[in-house]
Amino acid sequence: MNEQLRAISELDRVIHEPGRLMIFALLGAVKECDFLYLQHETEMNKGNLSSHLARLEEAGYVEIEKTYRGKVPRTLLRLTDAGRAAFDQYRKGLKAAF
Amino acid sequence: MKNELQDYLGRPKRYDNIDGTGEMLMGLMMLGFTLLGYLNAVLPENSMWRHGLAGMLLMPAVLLPVLGSGYWGAKAIKKHITWPRTGYMALGGGGKSRRTTMAALSALAAGIAGISAFGIACLMRFESQHDWISLAWMGNAAIFVAAYAFWIYRMEKDRPWKWLVLLFMVLGILAIAFIAPGDIVGWRWLMLSFIGLTWLGSGGASLYLYIRHTQPPAPEAE
Repeated sequence: MNEQLRAISELDRVIHEPGRLMIFALLGAVKECDFLYLQHETEMNKGNLSSHLARLEEAGYVEIEKTYRGKVPRTLLRLTDAGRAAFDQYRKGLKAAF
Repeated sequence: MKNELQDYLGRPKRYDNIDGTGEMLMGLMMLGFTLLGYLNAVLPENSMWRHGLAGMLLMPAVLLPVLGSGYWGAKAIKKHITWPRTGYMALGGGGKSRRTTMAALSALAAGIAGISAFGIACLMRFESQHDWISLAWMGNAAIFVAAYAFWIYRMEKDRPWKWLVLLFMVLGILAIAFIAPGDIVGWRWLMLSFIGLTWLGSGGASLYLYIRHTQPPAPEAE
């Protein structure tokens, strides 16, 4: 198989989905952020964003922490070590593919 | 696809100045250092602020209130205006490579500033070298303009009007150079204050537009 095609086929499918890739790129550049920030930057609706985050949490890539700011609930999000490693691997794979 | 990914990776850094606090902080720092330099230049030789403990206290006495108000002011704006409207994020997830880059850039900036300051201080010992001192200050102004242009290019992609601010800054510096009496050594404080005030004003305009165009979501948004 062509090397480039092989590199594409080996990309992590959990990350490769466009919506989740956006989330990964944003989370990859920060220490942590809240749900509202991701919603603002990705322009996704709440349902969509929640389902992507649930998928990422299920894969062990994202840590979700429910907390409060005063009386207002806040959802804090950060990449886990496994998530960062997977994202680094994904970026290397993408570089190899192109 | 790679470019889009790079764009998203750069968004958090741009978001950090979405409310103009970064620029306002730069402006305040510039005004603080300008005030300190001005005081050092105008204080008489026998002033108590030039000797002993008081001399050592001058720098913190001038800079701490200015930098402190900038730091805590920016934090308050983030906490009470930005985070409730468009969300909270903390930079610093870029890993070792980002930290290394930031450290290298900081060292480079400090090196350039140190060498410039040393060069100007050396030249100022010789009053007959005013032309060279003027040239050094012009070089200093050019560095600030170039740094601001680079910053707009990298960090303000969504706000093209910042290029007009840069143009205003350049025209203002030239106007000061041509209109103000005396040479550049005489009006350097005016020039540095103008740059600081321009940054402060530009950051204030960003904050005003941000508040005007964003609303906090309903409480159940999360």
